[in-house]
Amino acid sequence: MKIYLTLVSLTIFAFLCGWLELVSSTIIVILLITTFIKGQLIIDHFMGLKNVQFKYRIIPILWLSIVLIFIGVAYYT
Amino acid sequence: MITKKELPPGDFGIWVIIYVEFVTFAALFIGYAFARRADVAMFNESQLLLDQKSGFINTLVLITSSWFVVKAVQAIKKNNSKLSSDWLLRAMGVGSIFIVVKIMEFLDKFEQGINLSTNTFFMFYLMLTVFHFLHVILGLIILFNIYKKTKLGGYSDKDHIGMETGASYWHLVDLLWIVLFPLVYIMR
Repeated sequence: MKIYLTLVSLTIFAFLCGWLELVSSTIIVILLITTFIKGQLIIDHFMGLKNVQFKYRIIPILWLSIVLIFIGVAYYT
Repeated sequence: MITKKELPPGDFGIWVIIYVEFVTFAALFIGYAFARRADVAMFNESQLLLDQKSGFINTLVLITSSWFVVKAVQAIKKNNSKLSSDWLLRAMGVGSIFIVVKIMEFLDKFEQGINLSTNTFFMFYLMLTVFHFLHVILGLIILFNIYKKTKLGGYSDKDHIGMETGASYWHLVDLLWIVLFPLVYIMR
């Protein structure tokens, strides 16, 4: 339940940033970080990878990190 | 002490599919972000035509549905087929809301004359969201088949690899949307 509520809260935060037109360079960084946290929670707790061998857990984590870093680079450079 | 399992939940084949999906969607997400640099103003203006509320509702819908699937897997691990099938039914019910909201959103865009050739933003928007939409439909079909088998007592606490396989795919659909929502609907 705690994981679910965290995911909902971070989603509400992202929506409010857009709805209230608060999006700025700083907010984009925060949105990317919160998206990483949400993705990590899904990978670990929903997909159930928290307790599998590291080599299997690291693949989606790396995917998420690389995608978000590239998005960040594209928005900032 | 927590013992590490050898492999991820479900059939290993589904994880090969999941990794392929990762590569495909990564190309689309990163392609969108870098294509935006060529005309930031056009992307920002076009993005204003999207309904953020629809994107927000669909994010909540997928997170909730995914959580219900987690509860279904937990229930079958306790050998409770009835409870597990109930959670799966709820997951499908909530997941179906995504389809309704998305169809309404697509119809709205098509009525405005928006299509793949409108501009680069809408090309990416339609490619990403239609492609993801097809994954949601496939995910719901998979959930329905798991639900039917669960109803018939086809899974137990000792044999539920099929359910975990379908669940892994459904969580992938959720994970992809978690990235898509802020990227396409919010960040400008």
